[in-house]
Amino acid sequence: MSKHRHTTKKERAYGKIAVAGLLTTSVGLLATAGVYAGLSATATGAESVTSGSLNLQLSPDVGAGFSNFTGAMAPGDTDNVYVTLKNTGTLASAAGMTLQVAGSPVNALTNGSIAGEGLSIAATECSVAWTLATGTCSGATTTVLATTTASTLATAQALSNIPALAAATGQAAHIQISLTLAGTETSTNGTPPASTIQGLSTTLTYTFTEQQRTGTVTNQ
Amino acid sequence: MLCLTTTRACRTVATAAVLLLGVGLVPPIASAAGVHGQATGTEAMTAGTWGVHAVSTSFTFTVSTDQTVTVTNTGTIALSAESYGVTISRPLIGAPTFKLFECTSAWSANKCAGGSGTQIGGTLHSNSTTTVSISTALAVSGSLYLQWEPTGVSVATTITLSPQVTSPTQLRAAVKTNQ
Repeated sequence: MSKHRHTTKKERAYGKIAVAGLLTTSVGLLATAGVYAGLSATATGAESVTSGSLNLQLSPDVGAGFSNFTGAMAPGDTDNVYVTLKNTGTLASAAGMTLQVAGSPVNALTNGSIAGEGLSIAATECSVAWTLATGTCSGATTTVLATTTASTLATAQALSNIPALAAATGQAAHIQISLTLAGTETSTNGTPPASTIQGLSTTLTYTFTEQQRTGTVTNQ
Repeated sequence: MLCLTTTRACRTVATAAVLLLGVGLVPPIASAAGVHGQATGTEAMTAGTWGVHAVSTSFTFTVSTDQTVTVTNTGTIALSAESYGVTISRPLIGAPTFKLFECTSAWSANKCAGGSGTQIGGTLHSNSTTTVSISTALAVSGSLYLQWEPTGVSVATTITLSPQVTSPTQLRAAVKTNQ
């Protein structure tokens, strides 16, 4: 009799333990499930962006384009070259452009000690391609750079009236670059003055820089 | 100290450095690529030289006998005109005068191709300094032939000749090149 009572008590105790274990496990699972449910409440969207490019291409318009002046240049002479500036990128450029001319050697013919001496550069745009034989424009001309000394152009200068170059339409600017030499010097018995431009050489590097069109705001 | 990546501290420092470098470099590259486009072209040129050279620049006369001199374009630019500075000394006796003539060929027996040549300027007096000019085209390496024709020389009188060329007025016409 007492043995039977002892067995019953033992079984009750095991039952309580089992119930408690089940309850704890259930609470734990429910809590875990709740946390997972909260973390997975997300929403997604996708947007792709491709950046554009801005490439300025310089090529001969007519003739040889930028090339060396053969022979000896005398004061008053003019050397015209014809180039096309084209935006081959995917972005339009802004209206306006800069031109910098670097001389090598830097001081030959560009910043002589005699006032007014040296090289000067002017640029004119034609609405159509230039006519090489005559150096004339059959369309409309626009001055984009008035005659400017090469020494001034050692620092980039803004060109005037250069239109925006729209890449999408392949728009181009037909430019005539005029290089002139100025110098008033007297040679005596075949000898130039001590400070002279005579016989000097230089290589000019023209750098055109276009700016990207103004940034746009898109609402979509 | 040698910091190898075998310790956690070193790995952390190295990783941070790489990340900072990347953050610092990427924005400038991206912005520079999108801001402007450039194109360049080069052009070389050489300036010419100009001037005429006289074989002799000093002439002494003791009698009224003609003297000649050759001047040559030693520059690389053709000329359209030339000038000559002339200084005539003051003789001890008398007041001689001089005329300067030009010929495009060598003088022969004081004659220019059988003629008298072309006078440059007027009559030049002793004890004077003046500049005379003439518009004679002269090719590169070309020569002109001058002759002094004195009058009334009785004692030593010296003439100093100074050939001059001034740009751009005495150079060939300006050239416009389209290339």
